[in-house]
Amino acid sequence: MNLSRRHLLLSSGLAALGTGALAACSTSTSGGGTSGSTATALWYWNGGLSDKVVAASKTRFPDAGITPSVVGGDFKQKLQTTLTGGSFIPQITGVKGEDMPFFRSVADKFTDLNTLGAADIAAGQLAWKWAEAQTPDGRQLGFPIDIGPTAMFYRSDILAQAGLPTDPTEVAAATSTWDDFYAFGQELHGKVPASFPVPSLSAVFQIIVGQISQRFVSEDDTFVGDSDEMKSAWDTTVKAQALGINANAAQGLDAALASGVTAVDLGAAWHALDIKLAAPDTSGKWMVANNPVKPTNFGGSFLTIPSATKDKAGAFEIIKWVLGTDNQGEAFTDASIFPADPAAWELPALTGGDAFFGGQKTIDIFGPAGREVPEQYVAASDSAVSAAFYNELTNVEANGKDPAQAWTDAVAAARDIAQRQGVK
Amino acid sequence: MSSASLDRGFRRSRSRPPAAKPAATGPRRNPLRYWPQYVAVSPFFLLFAVFGLFPLGFSAWLAFHRWDGISPVTFAGFDQFRFLAADATFRKAVVNTVIIWVMATVPMLVMSLGIASMLNAVRRFKTFYQVVLFLPSVTSVVAIAIFFKAIFNNQVGIVNQVLTGLGLPAVEWLSGYWTIKIVLAVLMTWQWVGYNAILYYAGLQAISSEVYEAAKLDGAGALRTFVSITVPLLRPVILFTVVISTIGGLQTFAEPQVLFGSNASINPNSGGPGQAGLTMVLYFYQQAFNNNNFGYGAAIAYAVFAVVAVFALINWRLTARSER
Repeated sequence: MNLSRRHLLLSSGLAALGTGALAACSTSTSGGGTSGSTATALWYWNGGLSDKVVAASKTRFPDAGITPSVVGGDFKQKLQTTLTGGSFIPQITGVKGEDMPFFRSVADKFTDLNTLGAADIAAGQLAWKWAEAQTPDGRQLGFPIDIGPTAMFYRSDILAQAGLPTDPTEVAAATSTWDDFYAFGQELHGKVPASFPVPSLSAVFQIIVGQISQRFVSEDDTFVGDSDEMKSAWDTTVKAQALGINANAAQGLDAALASGVTAVDLGAAWHALDIKLAAPDTSGKWMVANNPVKPTNFGGSFLTIPSATKDKAGAFEIIKWVLGTDNQGEAFTDASIFPADPAAWELPALTGGDAFFGGQKTIDIFGPAGREVPEQYVAASDSAVSAAFYNELTNVEANGKDPAQAWTDAVAAARDIAQRQGVK
Repeated sequence: MSSASLDRGFRRSRSRPPAAKPAATGPRRNPLRYWPQYVAVSPFFLLFAVFGLFPLGFSAWLAFHRWDGISPVTFAGFDQFRFLAADATFRKAVVNTVIIWVMATVPMLVMSLGIASMLNAVRRFKTFYQVVLFLPSVTSVVAIAIFFKAIFNNQVGIVNQVLTGLGLPAVEWLSGYWTIKIVLAVLMTWQWVGYNAILYYAGLQAISSEVYEAAKLDGAGALRTFVSITVPLLRPVILFTVVISTIGGLQTFAEPQVLFGSNASINPNSGGPGQAGLTMVLYFYQQAFNNNNFGYGAAIAYAVFAVVAVFALINWRLTARSER
């Protein structure tokens, strides 16, 4: 339905006030969409791009007037507000992977990068990643910055203490199914009672949901969170609780990593940095192997060109350069941003050993994992609907709720949320 | 339609002065004569109109619509309120909020009164104590919440280390239904106990020493003096702190938001295990800003307003009754 007249009056009044206020307060940080100058405002969040590469882009494109802004706080919220307000829209902006399903639902706000020749670049890269930023009618809204292929991090010293294999290939072979993984974990926890193979139920559920064919909302916008495969994903997850091998450390993940309570952690490539920051004293004791069944993907962001941008071709040239193969390698060295471009995995920056992981060449795990990530449809309402399941998993692990009852409650709550979100 | 109603309003206001004319010649000139004063007070009204009045009206309008924050707004009738009436999570949030508010406010105000009496009796370093007591209330709530998250950590928190050091069992503070509320209540008490103590202290100083001397002559003990003189004479201040704590406590937001993973990309702002820390305002924030469900968020905001209004009304009734 259209905007009502009153709303239009109110919002235009507000916009006028807001613009005036902003113009008064700020010392013209960005070029804005209306100035018509050559200024190119580039929005990203702290750690979203390599600051070094961004700085270098200014000398590479002296005429573009690149003005980077590291936007703090809730990035999605600020971008959304700016797109709605219609002024001071950046010429190039990052979009986080988890926010892409939402922004994909308002595709008109962004430029179809295929009109600028993105398809040729996409052909040599990961199809599943590019597909995350594609609309059903084939418009390409985002250029992938990074990916988050998942794997299994483990403390090789604790595994050795439990008499388990520590070599990544052997560990992966011993945990190739969830049942094998749980048996492996029981062995571990039995021999070293202070350590657990599962940090929290949601860590497991998140990966299993990534492995099944449909998430919570299907492509025709129907609630499918009560499907058989979702039920079996749930049952597999809560089994960790029944077996007593869940550390239940969701409220203190960092502390559990540092203390060795978490001996096995499941997470994306970027999670390596979390572990390094949380548990610097455990350096050299960690290793990485493939997680059970098959790898999935958590996050990984995009650069986009809002449709308000005047010089779209120029903006795309900048994106192509900032996210060129060599600069993706540079971003990995500078800011641990795992390249979305597989060609960058061959660069020395990535093929070297990582001392924190006992000198292991982690790209040997994450590289192949990145290629094997299954393509999966993520609806704009996915995270809202999934919240009901994560809430109930927390009830199971923290409050001892009966898993069967928790499943029933989760499905009911998720259905309500889906209805509120306009899902059928 | 809106311009028509504007016209009507305009004409009505124009037609009023002539009716009032016989009384005095002044009324029409008055607004102009006092323009510097109106200009002087205008910043508040302008800011209030933009940041207070407009959002108030806009969210009321939004509560009857669906809006994801970008796409065109669609009319939803009473759908959002129907969802709200059936929403078990919102009921949970109301219950959580009230429990946390009671757990925080009652002990806090009692302690504040005790601290204020002690402060009143202190002779040396008075200013120092006042500053120390006031500091938490001007400290960033985010910083405080991060600090509390660390000391109440389930595994390595200092609170649990002290408990186990004393031979007591460790408590999973950030996991249980009641323990989460205790942590939040302790946090809020710690932050505001000093502020309220300062208010009480100011009230205590306004009580004439003659009253106390008279009580002493009549043979009243310390406790009797406190109950029969201090508390009744402090009543206006106590009512003020109760009202302020009610309005503030029922809108608790930042504390649970920081304590329970506001930055998580999975299930953000859920209020912790069992959603035990999910307050009304946190739920509003999650629905509007995480789920892009601004219409529903607006409906929740108005429900929060209704709950606060009910409690304010109860306060007012209690006051009115005791005035009689």
